[in-house]
This record gives sequence, structure tokens and C-alpha cells, in this order.
Amino acid sequence: MSWWILPLLLALLTGALCPISGTLLIVQGRVMQANLISHAVLPGLALAVAFGLPTSVGGLLSSLLGALVAERLLDGTRHSTAHHGAVMNTVLAGFLGLGVLLVPLLGIRIDLEATLFGDLLLTRPVDLLQTGGSLLLQGLFFAACYRPLVFLGVDPVGAAASGLPLRALQLALAGITAFVVVSSMAAVGVVLVIGLMCAPALFGLAGATSLGQAAFRASATGMVLSGGGFLLALLLNLPPGPLIGVLCVGLLVVWRGWSFHR
Amino acid sequence: MEGGPIRSMALFRRAQGTADPAKRIPLAMPGLRACGVSYHYSQQRVLHQITFHLRPGSLTALVGPNGAGKSTLLHLLQAQLQPSAGAVELDGVPVQRCRRRIALMPQKGEIDWHFPITVAEFAGLGRLTSPRPGCCDVDGALQRVGLGAMAGKRLDQLSGGQQQRALLGRTLVQPAEVLLLDEPCAAIDPPSRQLLLGLMRQLSDAGLTLLVSSHDWGPALNAYDRVLVLDQVLRADGTPDQVRHALDDVTMGNHYCG
Repeated sequence: MSWWILPLLLALLTGALCPISGTLLIVQGRVMQANLISHAVLPGLALAVAFGLPTSVGGLLSSLLGALVAERLLDGTRHSTAHHGAVMNTVLAGFLGLGVLLVPLLGIRIDLEATLFGDLLLTRPVDLLQTGGSLLLQGLFFAACYRPLVFLGVDPVGAAASGLPLRALQLALAGITAFVVVSSMAAVGVVLVIGLMCAPALFGLAGATSLGQAAFRASATGMVLSGGGFLLALLLNLPPGPLIGVLCVGLLVVWRGWSFHR
Repeated sequence: MEGGPIRSMALFRRAQGTADPAKRIPLAMPGLRACGVSYHYSQQRVLHQITFHLRPGSLTALVGPNGAGKSTLLHLLQAQLQPSAGAVELDGVPVQRCRRRIALMPQKGEIDWHFPITVAEFAGLGRLTSPRPGCCDVDGALQRVGLGAMAGKRLDQLSGGQQQRALLGRTLVQPAEVLLLDEPCAAIDPPSRQLLLGLMRQLSDAGLTLLVSSHDWGPALNAYDRVLVLDQVLRADGTPDQVRHALDDVTMGNHYCG
């Protein structure tokens, strides 16, 4: 098997996975939480390396802890969007800083560049399995909670009034997001994953008549961006993760320009 | 589907022993009752000692200036908030135990109108948490609110008045006996307002209990059986004429209804 098949498959799977999560997060107004989750991976990753545990488990637990700390700090009081963003970004910076500090303190070696920006060329079969499992889990969550997620997104007040278990739904969404972020680390890294979550999702949401249709369109767009980005990176001899991030912005610029022209 | 609400209310009345409202055996004060309800938020008084009783089949307006506590009261009546003091009951049962019998139509500003959803799917959300049938099915509810032909359109393709009607359509799909409508007539044109008022009257005639928060003070207030004037406390309670008389002049009306 050619050496580039595994990375290409991972790029396609990641491209399919991230935008579905992004679509859900955008319609729930929780993109900031996804950004926090992606950066809060680092401390858990460092601890997992230090204690010889699977890095994906450490990253998952750490990112969930970051999300819970932020939720706790915001709990019980009314906040403006700016206040919400300020708390989220502060926790994000704190967890990122903690992760960077833990590396010398624990005397471990982590390829920070690969963690932050991904390295598709290092893809192992286990990465494919993890990302495939994450895609399956997300699909099951999407199918099982589709209508409550729609209700929560379109009318949070009405959803609360109807007695839906909103807290459990939001926690489950945070958990799925953390799983998606950890699974995408190998491909695009924790910094660039947010681009692959959001750009295709914004494209998919435009004009869609259902959340399912938006997620499907976003996922297909993500596969094109991610797979195409990887192949282009091979041709141009560039790192694939950052190139995929640039393509995500390129998609938005071209799409907005085309919409404006129309 | 013109007979939708009537069908549902007939079932409701049969459940109470008779199909004829006049011969119905009264339960212990049927209807929605707020008794000495107060609500404080961060040591700030929002509502104080609110007491009233809404009978089944009544159409009541809840008027008051901005910040009077109208939306808070509606949320308390639907058990989304817990009162600091007092109690709310439906047919003698605390609303916390029967909140699904009460539907709350939120203000238009609470909805994400750009969400990727069709009008029909949006209306169908009204039946998400209960398998029991509501006043109408989705098609019937959309026909009633005049949006039957728009069922496949995205929500953000509707005008402001049509969006209000879509919200009401979703409320009709809910299996509820009490409808709490939070400013359904806000920022809509006079024909849409007339349509909504006419629809609300049909629903109350069919036996549903409606409480409608509103800024109407002029002739539109005559569309209601009863008016509650709220400004943290209940300032007035009676028929539209009685309330106008009690508050005495248009200036007071302007004050209480913005």
C-alpha cells in the first residue's frame, strides 16, 4: 500500500467528522466552547505522556475538565456574550499555559508543533480507527438527539419550557466535541481543528432547510477541503494541516465574494 | 382542520365527566390560579404578591410597561421559574407537576430565525415531548394560522407577522389547555394582528385558557374578556372598560402599556 493512502484516508475522515460537530456547535451558539476544548487538550496530553497513558484519553479528560471549569465559572448568573467570551478565553489561555508549563516541569518531550498543527504524514492505523469510531459515535448522537438538538438550537427558552433534559444534552455535546477534537489532532492539530469545524459548517448551513441537510453538506465540503488540502500539500511540499486551515479561510473568502457578486 | 381545537377540548371535557361545559361538575376551582406569587432576582423585587384566577375558556390580556414583570410572570406560570413566595396551580395541582398542560409561546426575539428549519418542522417541535395530540396536528395548526402554503419554506423567509403566526402554530400543536402568549402581536401589521386576535378568540371559545401579554391599550384591548395590569404588583384586574375606568385616563394607559 502506498505511504500516502493512510494519511489521505485520515484527512477524508477528519474532513467528514469535524464539520458535523461544527454545524451543531454553531447552531447552539457554542463555538467558543469548542475552541476552549481544543486548547484544553494540552495539560492532559502532557500528563498522559508523563504517566505512560494513552494520550487521547488524557487529552479527552483534560478538555472536558476545561469545559466544565468554564461552565462552572459562568454558572448561576446572567452574562452578556462578551462576558461569556472573556471567561471562555481566560480558561482557554490558562489550560494552554498549563500544558506548555507541564512539559518542562514533568521533564517530558512532546512534539508541540505536531500537536498544535497536526502532522498527517505520521498517521498510524490506530488514528484511523479512533477517527472512524468518533465519526460513528457522533452519527449515533446526531441521530438519537436530532429533534431535541433542533429544538434547543432554534428556541432555547421553548426547549427549557418543554422539559427537555437540556443540561444533559449540552454535556453530551461537550463530550462529543472533545472526542472529535482529540480524534482530529493527528490531522490538523488542536489549533487548526476549529477552522475545519467552522468553515464547512458555515457553508453547509447557508440555505439549508434542515439541520441534517446542513450537516451533510458541511461534511461533504469538509472532505473536499481536507482531502484536497492533503493532496495539494503533497504537490507543493507543504505541511498539510496549516494548508487545510488556509483553504478553510479561502473557502469563506471565495464564497462570500461570490455571494456578494450575485 | 377548522375543528381541531374543538375536537381536543371535547376530549378534555369528556375527561371531566360531560361534553357540555354548562353542565360540567366544577372541580376545586378549575383553571389557572396564582396565589400570592412573588419573585425576587438578586435581592431585587420583580413581582410582589400577585393573585388571580383564570377560568377555562377565558381570553385575558396581561398589560404593563417594559420591566413590569410580564414575561417573568408567564415563566412562573409555566413553572420555568420558581416563585420566591406563593404558589401557582392548574385545576388545584401545582404547575410543577403538570407543566406540560401549559404551553408558553416565547417572545419573537427568543427564536433563532436563521436556524436551518422549515415552517412545518418548526411547528412539529410543539409535540416533541408528549405523544398526546394537541389542539391540531401540524398541517391543521399551519392552516389555522394561515401558513398552510408556507410549510416547506425556511423560517427566515417569512415576514415578521408570519413568523409570529408560525410561533403560534407551534404552540397550537402542543397538547396544552392553557396557552401563555408573550407579546404575540408585537411589531406586526394591523391585518396580521387582527388575524391573531381572531384566532385567539376561536381558541378561547373552544375552551382553551389564554393569557396574552400585550402592549395594546387602544380599541384592540376590547378583544379580550379581561385585562390584568401589571407593574411589579397587580395594578388592576377586570374587563377592558373596568380597567380603563380604574386607571382613569389615557395617560395611565400610555404609562402602563408603553
